[in-house]
Amino acid sequence: MEGLMAFWAETGIAHFEAGQLLMMGVGCLLLYLAIARGFEPLLLLPIGFGAILANIPNAGFTEEGGLLWYAYHVGIETGIFPLLIFMGVGALTDFGALIANPKTLLLGAAAQFGIFATLLGAIALNLVPGFEFTMTDAAAIAIIGGADGPTAIFLASKLAPDLLGAIAVAAYSYMALVPLIQPPIMKLLTTPAERSIKMEQLREVSKREKIIFPLMVVGLTILFLPAATPLVGMFCLGNLMRESGVVDRLSKTAQNELINIVTIFLGLAVGSKLSAGEFLRIETLGILVLGAVAFSIGTAAGVLMAKLMCKLSGGKVNPLIGAAGVSAVPMAARVVNKVGLEANHQNFLLMHAMGPNVAGVLGSAVAAGVLLAVLG
Amino acid sequence: MTSISDQLVDALGIMIMGMGLVFIFLSVLIVGIGIVAKLCPAPVVAKPDALPSPIATNRLDPKLVAAITSAIHQYRA
Repeated sequence: MEGLMAFWAETGIAHFEAGQLLMMGVGCLLLYLAIARGFEPLLLLPIGFGAILANIPNAGFTEEGGLLWYAYHVGIETGIFPLLIFMGVGALTDFGALIANPKTLLLGAAAQFGIFATLLGAIALNLVPGFEFTMTDAAAIAIIGGADGPTAIFLASKLAPDLLGAIAVAAYSYMALVPLIQPPIMKLLTTPAERSIKMEQLREVSKREKIIFPLMVVGLTILFLPAATPLVGMFCLGNLMRESGVVDRLSKTAQNELINIVTIFLGLAVGSKLSAGEFLRIETLGILVLGAVAFSIGTAAGVLMAKLMCKLSGGKVNPLIGAAGVSAVPMAARVVNKVGLEANHQNFLLMHAMGPNVAGVLGSAVAAGVLLAVLG
Repeated sequence: MTSISDQLVDALGIMIMGMGLVFIFLSVLIVGIGIVAKLCPAPVVAKPDALPSPIATNRLDPKLVAAITSAIHQYRA
């Protein structure tokens, strides 16, 4: 009988707390979104499962020495996982569309307004009783508006590790929701005539230009914004490996095996931050709301900037491509293409939207560097 | 409450500076891309010189066809 009692004391049933059950529910919700709805499955699946593991009573996954504790400690606290992912993203990114039409960098810059406006919003939320965001917390929340998972995790791990779980979940959920969040804003701010504008075909970009580009970006970062070099540096390393064409093996590894391995552990480690004690707080609600606001403002700022460019260029720029300025590669560009096709069945904007799209990645990395330099 | 308004002013400062820096950084990059594009112009993709199309080689000159046809008619006649 004593043995049975000891066994009972070790079971999960005897130790469940309401919060843990609720968080397991959240984990299951993430799994459902990933498996049944196909929302960012590569990340939401490991994050959701990590959330379930992190809330098992007596399992000790997230205590010191546990698997998830190590994954977090080694990969996220140090910033290594998001940076490795960024290298892989660099190796996956083709800057051809951006180099062919460099003005689209301005769209990627404008869309970062979502980040900085949300910084203001997060501080303003302190007026509501129950919220006490410091400036660093606010900055980490605001970066959700950059719509770039690795950047958000990197910045949160440096500025507000307590909020990392909520920030990462918000960032990836909203990236998955791009096809739902963006089109209404895009349609609200543009006329059907503007949406059906066809853009000139992009010029050919030489291999040499593509090789010089990452080197130039790194050079500029070294000169003006060393705080952004971890992100931009790894990104450009990946891109140089891709474009140089001499290290195909490394480039392929960065694009496939490495990024996949890191994604598994990154997802688990982020999921480990979804333990009841850390996630079930009023701040989480604020973060989810602010994240959606950041995203919407970023989209709107990008579209408005594109409208301005459309006016200045005499109607050669389709304002829709501005919405792709909020990174979220390549989802945002696909959404632009889809909304463009709805307005004009022969209007393929995908390649034109890829320019602002990858510009957005650079823009959010630069914005993250600015926030790190000022607040870090 | 004063601390929040102070923080708001700070945040506003960061916002203006941040947006400014992002724009300046990416604008410098635009200039850089422009210079690089000037220095190494995209190789003019040499269009393969109009290869004799296979259809053209198969097609016979209509005059030749007419001549052969009339010759056959004359021979049969």
